[in-house]
Amino acid sequence: MGRKFPLAVCFLFGVVMFIQYFSQSTAARNLNQTILDYWQIVFAFTLIVGVFSFFKNNVTHISRGADRPYRVVGLIGFCSMPILALIWGIKADTPFMWMFENVQAPMQSTVFALLAFFVASASFRGFRARSLPAAVLLISALLMLLSRSNIGGYFSSGLPEVANWVRDYPSMAARRAILIGIGLGSLTTSLRVIIGIERTWLGGEK
Amino acid sequence: MKKLEARHFAFLGLFLVVTLTMLLNIKLDMKASPYTQALYNYIEFLPEGSTLIVSFDHEASSLPEIRPIATAVLRHAFRKKHKLIGVSLLAEGTLIGYRLMRETAGEHGAEYGTDYVYLGFRPQYIAAILAMGESIEKTYPQDYLGNPYGQFELLKGVQNYDDIAAVVSIADGSLTTHWIEYGQARYGVRVVGAVTAAMVTTYDPYLASGQMYAMMGGLRGAAEYEKLIGKDGGGARGMLAQSSAHIYVILLIVLGNIAYFSSRRTKGSG
Repeated sequence: MGRKFPLAVCFLFGVVMFIQYFSQSTAARNLNQTILDYWQIVFAFTLIVGVFSFFKNNVTHISRGADRPYRVVGLIGFCSMPILALIWGIKADTPFMWMFENVQAPMQSTVFALLAFFVASASFRGFRARSLPAAVLLISALLMLLSRSNIGGYFSSGLPEVANWVRDYPSMAARRAILIGIGLGSLTTSLRVIIGIERTWLGGEK
Repeated sequence: MKKLEARHFAFLGLFLVVTLTMLLNIKLDMKASPYTQALYNYIEFLPEGSTLIVSFDHEASSLPEIRPIATAVLRHAFRKKHKLIGVSLLAEGTLIGYRLMRETAGEHGAEYGTDYVYLGFRPQYIAAILAMGESIEKTYPQDYLGNPYGQFELLKGVQNYDDIAAVVSIADGSLTTHWIEYGQARYGVRVVGAVTAAMVTTYDPYLASGQMYAMMGGLRGAAEYEKLIGKDGGGARGMLAQSSAHIYVILLIVLGNIAYFSSRRTKGSG
């Protein structure tokens, strides 16, 4: 019973949502709206679970002394933002907005910008024409870099066109193949879940 | 002291190239690509007062690239007196979107409630996109600041996507795909994208198939758009630094390959 009930619920909702997609009746649309409301509510609760889990995990590690300074900073940030929002609100020119714009956003941008340094290092140490496929990849990358940097046109007026051709044909063909593969994979996995063949989401095969 | 390696010099070189070129403040002349031109034309030739949803589907980490992109599109839309409804499908994009809309609206004298409204964030993006197709008011009973939906003049005739000219998804990831797969495929809303450079090839198949109507990509796209609307911004300012960094990476690739082949030759003859 412990496994049959969730399987039955999954089957029922899977079939109902599939059928309502093709229906324009008022009942089907109302049902869709109600289920979408519950979906958002369930998702909001998963956020609460995540928040408590983060808090508990950090408090446990702080009490054991592991990475204490980092975890304390993390918890201060974690607690201060909702406190600022509750006291002064979230409108423009509030402490909450100031913290977001002057602390969180620059820090995240800084971490993201580090990628450029890794790219620079990797381009020198790893991007080598060791084989024919590697050479093709290398030439394509050089073409794209030149065309995107606004200097390709200075070398040759045809260079941006060649780069666009790479983007429009070989690159897009590969991308389409991947997308179709993902689509077919999602379809079969969804069907397996709905009809109960795929049960790993229940926590095991038994 | 730790011995300096080749990668440390590569890091230092990139730092110097980007910093110096940012200080030079030289603007590169560029021609708008057909992709950017298509997005510009779409917003330019929409009837004045058309309602657009602008969705801020990005995180704070991509702000240096996203800000010029979003600002250029918002400036154009406000200048053409279109009505804008701001939403966000990622929590971090919510604050950024609110700020950007407020700033660009201020430049054009657009008023909150009549020219633009910011509805803010809803969790679970797929559910939010689908729910807005049924009823935007039920999905967002209040705006970002807690005012009731029905209070705004702009929103009075807006029930769902049938009353929207297009969704402009400003994204640094794959969220625009969900607007296409759920908003466009199911409800027929037109989707246009303003995305970071890394995501451009992801959306190419959707653009070619017509599922995405138009797209502007990366800092270069922003610079091209700024040129089209005749107002400089972060895109034009950052293009020299980005172009220089690209040349620097090309040089590193060439140097790395020269070193690789010369070492192979040495090993072969030895």
